[in-house]
Amino acid sequence: MHLVESTSEVGEAVNRAKTDSFGYCSNFFPSTRKLQSWITHGDLFCDQRDGVALFLRRDRDFWHLYFCAANPTFLQRAVTALPMLKIEPVVLDLIGKESALAEMVGLFEDAGFRFYNRLFRMARTVPTVTPSVNVAPDSRVVVPDKTDCQPILDLLLRSFDCRAEQIPMLYEIEAAVEGRQIRVARCAGTLAGLLFFETQGMTSTLRYWLIAPEFRSQRFGSGLMHRYFAEHPVVRRFLLWVVASNTNAIGKYEHYGFAPEGLVDYVLANEKIRP
Amino acid sequence: MNALAELLKSIRPEFDFTTSSDFIADGMLDSFDMVTLVATLDKTYGISIEGVDIVPEHFHNLDAIAVLLKKYGVEAT
Repeated sequence: MHLVESTSEVGEAVNRAKTDSFGYCSNFFPSTRKLQSWITHGDLFCDQRDGVALFLRRDRDFWHLYFCAANPTFLQRAVTALPMLKIEPVVLDLIGKESALAEMVGLFEDAGFRFYNRLFRMARTVPTVTPSVNVAPDSRVVVPDKTDCQPILDLLLRSFDCRAEQIPMLYEIEAAVEGRQIRVARCAGTLAGLLFFETQGMTSTLRYWLIAPEFRSQRFGSGLMHRYFAEHPVVRRFLLWVVASNTNAIGKYEHYGFAPEGLVDYVLANEKIRP
Repeated sequence: MNALAELLKSIRPEFDFTTSSDFIADGMLDSFDMVTLVATLDKTYGISIEGVDIVPEHFHNLDAIAVLLKKYGVEAT
Protein backbone atom coordinates (compact mmCIF):
# COMPACT_ATOMS: atom_id res chain seq x y z
CA MET A 1 0.00 0.00 0.00
CA HIS A 2 1.54 3.30 -1.04
CA LEU A 3 0.55 6.93 -1.22
CA VAL A 4 -0.73 7.94 -4.67
CA GLU A 5 1.13 10.95 -5.99
CA SER A 6 -0.37 11.59 -9.42
CA THR A 7 -3.49 10.94 -11.47
CA SER A 8 -1.38 9.21 -14.13
CA GLU A 9 -0.31 6.69 -11.49
CA VAL A 10 -3.99 5.93 -10.91
CA GLY A 11 -4.58 5.61 -14.64
CA GLU A 12 -1.71 3.19 -15.02
CA ALA A 13 -2.89 1.05 -12.10
CA VAL A 14 -6.41 0.91 -13.52
CA ASN A 15 -5.13 0.05 -17.00
CA ARG A 16 -3.00 -2.79 -15.62
CA ALA A 17 -6.12 -4.21 -13.96
CA LYS A 18 -8.07 -3.85 -17.21
CA THR A 19 -5.49 -5.49 -19.47
CA ASP A 20 -6.78 -8.80 -20.82
CA SER A 21 -9.73 -8.60 -18.45
CA PHE A 22 -13.01 -10.29 -19.18
CA GLY A 23 -15.35 -9.69 -16.31
CA TYR A 24 -13.81 -6.37 -15.34
CA CYS A 25 -15.41 -4.93 -12.23
CA SER A 26 -15.01 -1.63 -10.42
CA ASN A 27 -16.58 0.76 -7.96
CA PHE A 28 -14.09 3.53 -8.73
CA PHE A 29 -15.64 6.37 -10.75
CA PRO A 30 -14.14 9.63 -9.47
CA SER A 31 -14.11 12.77 -11.56
CA THR A 32 -10.62 13.96 -12.47
CA ARG A 33 -11.08 17.02 -10.28
CA LYS A 34 -12.07 14.96 -7.26
CA LEU A 35 -9.25 12.51 -7.82
CA GLN A 36 -6.72 15.33 -8.07
CA SER A 37 -8.05 16.86 -4.87
CA TRP A 38 -7.65 13.59 -2.91
CA ILE A 39 -4.11 13.17 -4.23
CA THR A 40 -3.13 16.77 -3.46
CA HIS A 41 -4.28 16.31 0.13
CA GLY A 42 -2.48 13.00 0.56
CA ASP A 43 -5.70 11.06 1.13
CA LEU A 44 -5.41 8.35 -1.55
CA PHE A 45 -3.41 5.11 -1.28
CA CYS A 46 -3.04 2.22 -3.73
CA ASP A 47 -2.29 -1.49 -3.58
CA GLN A 48 -1.65 -3.21 -6.90
CA ARG A 49 -1.52 -6.98 -7.30
CA ASP A 50 -2.46 -9.70 -9.81
CA GLY A 51 -4.93 -7.91 -12.04
CA VAL A 52 -6.37 -5.79 -9.26
CA ALA A 53 -5.89 -2.18 -8.18
CA LEU A 54 -7.22 -1.42 -4.72
CA PHE A 55 -7.51 2.20 -3.62
CA LEU A 56 -8.07 3.38 -0.08
CA ARG A 57 -9.14 6.93 0.59
CA ARG A 58 -8.78 8.43 4.04
CA ASP A 59 -11.96 10.09 5.35
CA ARG A 60 -11.75 11.43 8.90
CA ASP A 61 -11.46 8.34 11.16
CA PHE A 62 -12.18 5.66 8.55
CA TRP A 63 -11.36 4.62 4.95
CA HIS A 64 -13.25 4.15 1.69
CA LEU A 65 -12.26 1.11 -0.35
CA TYR A 66 -12.35 1.27 -4.16
CA PHE A 67 -11.39 -1.48 -6.58
CA CYS A 68 -10.64 -2.08 -10.25
CA ALA A 69 -10.31 -5.79 -10.95
CA ALA A 70 -9.83 -7.95 -14.00
CA ASN A 71 -12.47 -10.30 -12.63
CA PRO A 72 -14.25 -11.15 -9.33
CA THR A 73 -11.93 -14.09 -8.55
CA PHE A 74 -8.85 -11.87 -8.61
CA LEU A 75 -10.73 -9.28 -6.58
CA GLN A 76 -11.63 -11.74 -3.86
CA ARG A 77 -8.02 -12.88 -3.61
CA ALA A 78 -6.74 -9.30 -3.38
CA VAL A 79 -9.27 -8.21 -0.77
CA THR A 80 -8.62 -11.24 1.40
CA ALA A 81 -4.87 -10.60 1.23
CA LEU A 82 -4.97 -6.93 2.23
CA PRO A 83 -3.97 -6.71 5.93
CA MET A 84 -5.29 -3.18 6.32
CA LEU A 85 -8.85 -4.43 6.02
CA LYS A 86 -8.39 -6.40 9.23
CA ILE A 87 -7.16 -3.51 11.35
CA GLU A 88 -8.72 -0.28 10.02
CA PRO A 89 -12.37 0.81 9.80
CA VAL A 90 -13.31 0.54 6.11
CA VAL A 91 -16.49 1.07 4.08
CA LEU A 92 -17.14 0.47 0.42
CA ASP A 93 -19.92 1.33 -1.99
CA LEU A 94 -21.21 -1.17 -4.53
CA ILE A 95 -23.20 0.62 -7.21
CA GLY A 96 -25.32 -0.86 -9.96
CA LYS A 97 -28.66 -2.36 -10.77
CA GLU A 98 -30.06 -4.22 -7.78
CA SER A 99 -30.17 -7.54 -9.60
CA ALA A 100 -26.53 -7.30 -10.70
CA LEU A 101 -25.02 -6.65 -7.28
CA ALA A 102 -25.75 -9.89 -5.46
CA GLU A 103 -22.53 -11.63 -6.52
CA MET A 104 -20.35 -8.69 -5.52
CA VAL A 105 -22.11 -8.24 -2.17
CA GLY A 106 -21.54 -11.95 -1.46
CA LEU A 107 -17.87 -11.64 -2.38
CA PHE A 108 -17.30 -8.87 0.15
CA GLU A 109 -19.40 -10.58 2.81
CA ASP A 110 -17.10 -13.58 2.44
CA ALA A 111 -14.19 -11.19 3.00
CA GLY A 112 -15.63 -9.97 6.32
CA PHE A 113 -17.80 -7.03 5.24
CA ARG A 114 -21.46 -6.70 6.18
CA PHE A 115 -24.42 -4.61 5.09
CA TYR A 116 -24.30 -1.07 6.47
CA ASN A 117 -26.84 0.96 4.48
CA ARG A 118 -28.56 1.18 1.13
CA LEU A 119 -29.12 4.23 -1.04
CA PHE A 120 -30.82 4.60 -4.38
CA ARG A 121 -30.57 7.13 -7.14
CA MET A 122 -33.48 9.36 -8.12
CA ALA A 123 -33.73 11.40 -11.29
CA ARG A 124 -35.80 14.32 -12.42
CA THR A 125 -35.82 14.74 -16.15
CA VAL A 126 -36.94 17.94 -17.79
CA PRO A 127 -39.57 18.77 -18.83
CA THR A 128 -41.33 17.77 -15.67
CA VAL A 129 -44.03 19.87 -14.14
CA THR A 130 -42.51 21.59 -11.12
CA PRO A 131 -45.03 22.43 -8.42
CA SER A 132 -44.22 26.13 -8.15
CA VAL A 133 -42.38 27.35 -11.22
CA ASN A 134 -43.48 30.94 -10.79
CA VAL A 135 -42.51 31.34 -7.16
CA ALA A 136 -40.70 34.62 -6.44
CA PRO A 137 -37.02 34.22 -5.50
CA ASP A 138 -36.45 33.77 -1.77
CA SER A 139 -34.16 36.60 -0.64
CA ARG A 140 -32.96 34.47 2.28
CA VAL A 141 -31.20 32.16 -0.21
CA VAL A 142 -27.72 33.39 -1.09
CA VAL A 143 -24.35 32.29 -2.46
CA PRO A 144 -22.08 31.50 0.51
CA ASP A 145 -18.61 32.90 1.10
CA LYS A 146 -15.45 31.48 2.70
CA THR A 147 -16.69 32.18 6.24
CA ASP A 148 -19.58 29.77 5.64
CA CYS A 149 -17.38 26.72 4.94
CA GLN A 150 -16.95 25.47 8.49
CA PRO A 151 -20.62 26.05 9.44
CA ILE A 152 -21.62 24.19 6.26
CA LEU A 153 -19.41 21.24 7.21
CA ASP A 154 -20.72 21.28 10.79
CA LEU A 155 -24.30 21.19 9.56
CA LEU A 156 -23.55 18.33 7.15
CA LEU A 157 -21.83 16.29 9.85
CA ARG A 158 -24.71 16.92 12.26
CA SER A 159 -27.28 15.83 9.71
CA PHE A 160 -25.78 12.93 7.75
CA ASP A 161 -23.92 9.70 8.35
CA CYS A 162 -20.45 10.33 6.93
CA ARG A 163 -19.82 6.59 6.43
CA ALA A 164 -22.78 6.17 4.10
CA GLU A 165 -23.31 9.61 2.63
CA GLN A 166 -19.87 10.74 1.42
CA ILE A 167 -19.64 13.97 3.43
CA PRO A 168 -17.03 16.22 1.81
CA MET A 169 -13.87 17.25 3.59
CA LEU A 170 -13.44 20.92 4.50
CA TYR A 171 -11.15 21.42 1.49
CA GLU A 172 -13.86 20.05 -0.80
CA ILE A 173 -16.40 22.46 0.67
CA GLU A 174 -13.97 25.34 0.19
CA ALA A 175 -13.55 24.36 -3.45
CA ALA A 176 -17.33 24.04 -3.86
CA VAL A 177 -17.92 27.48 -2.37
CA GLU A 178 -15.30 28.93 -4.68
CA GLY A 179 -16.93 27.12 -7.61
CA ARG A 180 -20.38 28.45 -6.61
CA GLN A 181 -21.76 24.94 -6.13
CA ILE A 182 -23.53 25.72 -2.85
CA ARG A 183 -26.48 27.92 -1.95
CA VAL A 184 -27.34 28.66 1.65
CA ALA A 185 -30.42 29.93 3.42
CA ARG A 186 -29.75 32.41 6.19
CA CYS A 187 -31.99 33.50 9.04
CA ALA A 188 -30.82 36.47 11.09
CA GLY A 189 -27.24 35.77 10.08
CA THR A 190 -27.38 32.08 11.04
CA LEU A 191 -26.99 29.23 8.56
CA ALA A 192 -30.48 27.74 8.33
CA GLY A 193 -29.91 25.32 5.47
CA LEU A 194 -28.02 24.57 2.31
CA LEU A 195 -28.17 23.01 -1.11
CA PHE A 196 -24.97 21.56 -2.59
CA PHE A 197 -24.82 20.53 -6.24
CA GLU A 198 -22.40 19.44 -8.97
CA THR A 199 -23.29 20.29 -12.54
CA GLN A 200 -21.76 18.81 -15.67
CA GLY A 201 -23.30 20.07 -18.89
CA MET A 202 -26.93 19.05 -19.02
CA THR A 203 -26.81 16.92 -15.87
CA SER A 204 -26.75 18.21 -12.33
CA THR A 205 -26.34 16.11 -9.19
CA LEU A 206 -27.96 17.39 -6.05
CA ARG A 207 -25.51 16.22 -3.41
CA TYR A 208 -27.10 17.63 -0.25
CA TRP A 209 -30.24 19.56 0.57
CA LEU A 210 -30.99 20.11 4.20
CA ILE A 211 -32.44 22.51 6.71
CA ALA A 212 -31.25 22.61 10.32
CA PRO A 213 -33.96 21.19 12.62
CA GLU A 214 -34.59 24.52 14.36
CA PHE A 215 -35.38 26.20 11.02
CA ARG A 216 -37.73 23.66 9.51
CA SER A 217 -41.30 24.49 8.39
CA GLN A 218 -40.26 28.01 7.39
CA ARG A 219 -40.04 27.31 3.64
CA PHE A 220 -36.24 27.54 3.52
CA GLY A 221 -36.11 24.15 1.78
CA SER A 222 -38.44 25.15 -1.04
CA GLY A 223 -36.60 28.45 -1.42
CA LEU A 224 -33.35 26.59 -1.96
CA MET A 225 -34.83 24.05 -4.34
CA HIS A 226 -36.59 26.65 -6.50
CA ARG A 227 -33.43 28.71 -6.70
CA TYR A 228 -31.49 25.59 -7.73
CA PHE A 229 -33.90 24.75 -10.54
CA ALA A 230 -34.15 28.37 -11.68
CA GLU A 231 -30.37 28.66 -11.94
CA HIS A 232 -30.10 25.54 -14.12
CA PRO A 233 -32.32 26.23 -17.13
CA VAL A 234 -30.25 24.09 -19.52
CA VAL A 235 -30.05 21.04 -17.27
CA ARG A 236 -32.18 18.17 -18.57
CA ARG A 237 -31.41 15.60 -15.88
CA PHE A 238 -31.20 16.22 -12.14
CA LEU A 239 -29.85 13.35 -10.05
CA LEU A 240 -29.48 12.58 -6.37
CA TRP A 241 -28.75 9.69 -4.02
CA VAL A 242 -30.99 9.12 -1.02
CA VAL A 243 -30.89 6.65 1.87
CA ALA A 244 -33.56 4.08 1.06
CA SER A 245 -35.08 4.18 4.56
CA ASN A 246 -35.42 7.99 4.58
CA THR A 247 -39.06 8.08 3.54
CA ASN A 248 -39.44 11.71 4.61
CA ALA A 249 -36.72 12.88 2.20
CA ILE A 250 -37.94 10.58 -0.58
CA GLY A 251 -41.43 12.08 -0.30
CA LYS A 252 -40.02 15.58 -0.61
CA TYR A 253 -37.94 14.65 -3.66
CA GLU A 254 -40.98 13.05 -5.28
CA HIS A 255 -42.84 16.31 -4.70
CA TYR A 256 -40.24 18.05 -6.86
CA GLY A 257 -40.52 15.50 -9.63
CA PHE A 258 -37.74 13.05 -8.77
CA ALA A 259 -38.33 9.32 -9.20
CA PRO A 260 -36.19 6.20 -8.61
CA GLU A 261 -34.21 5.35 -11.74
CA GLY A 262 -32.88 1.89 -10.96
CA LEU A 263 -29.37 2.38 -9.58
CA VAL A 264 -28.68 1.35 -6.00
CA ASP A 265 -25.67 1.80 -3.73
CA TYR A 266 -24.99 -0.92 -1.18
CA VAL A 267 -22.75 0.45 1.53
CA LEU A 268 -20.79 -2.32 3.22
CA ALA A 269 -18.58 -1.96 6.28
CA ASN A 270 -15.96 -4.16 7.85
CA GLU A 271 -16.05 -5.35 11.45
CA LYS A 272 -14.14 -2.30 12.69
CA ILE A 273 -17.17 -0.12 12.03
CA ARG A 274 -20.10 -0.49 14.37
CA PRO A 275 -23.60 -0.54 12.83
CA MET B 1 -25.03 6.15 -37.12
CA ASN B 2 -28.76 6.57 -36.55
CA ALA B 3 -29.00 3.13 -35.00
CA LEU B 4 -26.27 4.06 -32.54
CA ALA B 5 -28.01 7.31 -31.62
CA GLU B 6 -31.26 5.41 -31.07
CA LEU B 7 -29.48 2.89 -28.89
CA LEU B 8 -28.08 5.71 -26.77
CA LYS B 9 -31.49 7.31 -26.57
CA SER B 10 -32.87 4.07 -25.16
CA ILE B 11 -30.45 4.53 -22.26
CA ARG B 12 -30.93 8.28 -21.79
CA PRO B 13 -34.19 9.27 -23.51
CA GLU B 14 -33.98 12.89 -22.37
CA PHE B 15 -31.01 13.68 -24.62
CA ASP B 16 -30.52 14.07 -28.36
CA PHE B 17 -27.18 12.39 -29.03
CA THR B 18 -26.96 13.65 -32.59
CA THR B 19 -26.39 17.24 -31.42
CA SER B 20 -23.35 16.75 -29.18
CA SER B 21 -19.70 16.12 -29.97
CA ASP B 22 -18.79 15.38 -26.35
CA PHE B 23 -21.34 13.36 -24.40
CA ILE B 24 -19.23 13.37 -21.23
CA ALA B 25 -18.56 17.13 -21.10
CA ASP B 26 -22.18 17.83 -21.97
CA GLY B 27 -23.36 15.68 -19.07
CA MET B 28 -25.25 13.25 -21.30
CA LEU B 29 -23.39 10.12 -20.20
CA ASP B 30 -21.82 9.42 -16.81
CA SER B 31 -19.73 6.47 -15.63
CA PHE B 32 -22.78 4.40 -14.77
CA ASP B 33 -24.37 5.09 -18.14
CA MET B 34 -21.13 3.97 -19.76
CA VAL B 35 -21.33 0.61 -17.99
CA THR B 36 -24.94 0.24 -19.17
CA LEU B 37 -23.94 1.24 -22.67
CA VAL B 38 -21.14 -1.34 -22.79
CA ALA B 39 -23.56 -4.06 -21.71
CA THR B 40 -26.07 -2.90 -24.33
CA LEU B 41 -23.45 -2.81 -27.10
CA ASP B 42 -22.21 -6.29 -26.09
CA LYS B 43 -25.72 -7.66 -26.24
CA THR B 44 -26.85 -5.84 -29.39
CA TYR B 45 -23.80 -6.69 -31.49
CA GLY B 46 -22.80 -10.02 -29.91
CA ILE B 47 -19.39 -8.74 -28.83
CA SER B 48 -17.49 -8.53 -25.56
CA ILE B 49 -15.83 -5.16 -25.05
CA GLU B 50 -12.65 -5.55 -23.03
CA GLY B 51 -12.06 -3.67 -19.78
CA VAL B 52 -9.17 -1.74 -21.26
CA ASP B 53 -11.56 -0.22 -23.81
CA ILE B 54 -14.01 1.01 -21.19
CA VAL B 55 -12.64 4.53 -20.98
CA PRO B 56 -14.44 7.86 -21.55
CA GLU B 57 -12.55 8.68 -24.77
CA HIS B 58 -14.21 5.72 -26.50
CA PHE B 59 -17.69 7.00 -25.64
CA HIS B 60 -17.53 10.75 -25.97
CA ASN B 61 -19.41 10.94 -29.27
CA LEU B 62 -21.00 8.81 -31.98
CA ASP B 63 -17.82 8.69 -34.10
CA ALA B 64 -15.72 7.48 -31.16
CA ILE B 65 -18.21 4.72 -30.37
CA ALA B 66 -18.26 3.72 -34.06
CA VAL B 67 -14.45 3.46 -34.07
CA LEU B 68 -14.58 1.29 -30.95
CA LEU B 69 -17.20 -0.98 -32.51
CA LYS B 70 -15.10 -1.28 -35.65
CA LYS B 71 -12.28 -2.69 -33.52
CA TYR B 72 -14.68 -5.52 -32.63
CA GLY B 73 -15.71 -6.03 -36.26
CA VAL B 74 -18.97 -4.10 -36.08
CA GLU B 75 -19.93 -1.45 -38.65
CA ALA B 76 -22.24 1.01 -36.91
CA THR B 77 -25.19 2.13 -39.04
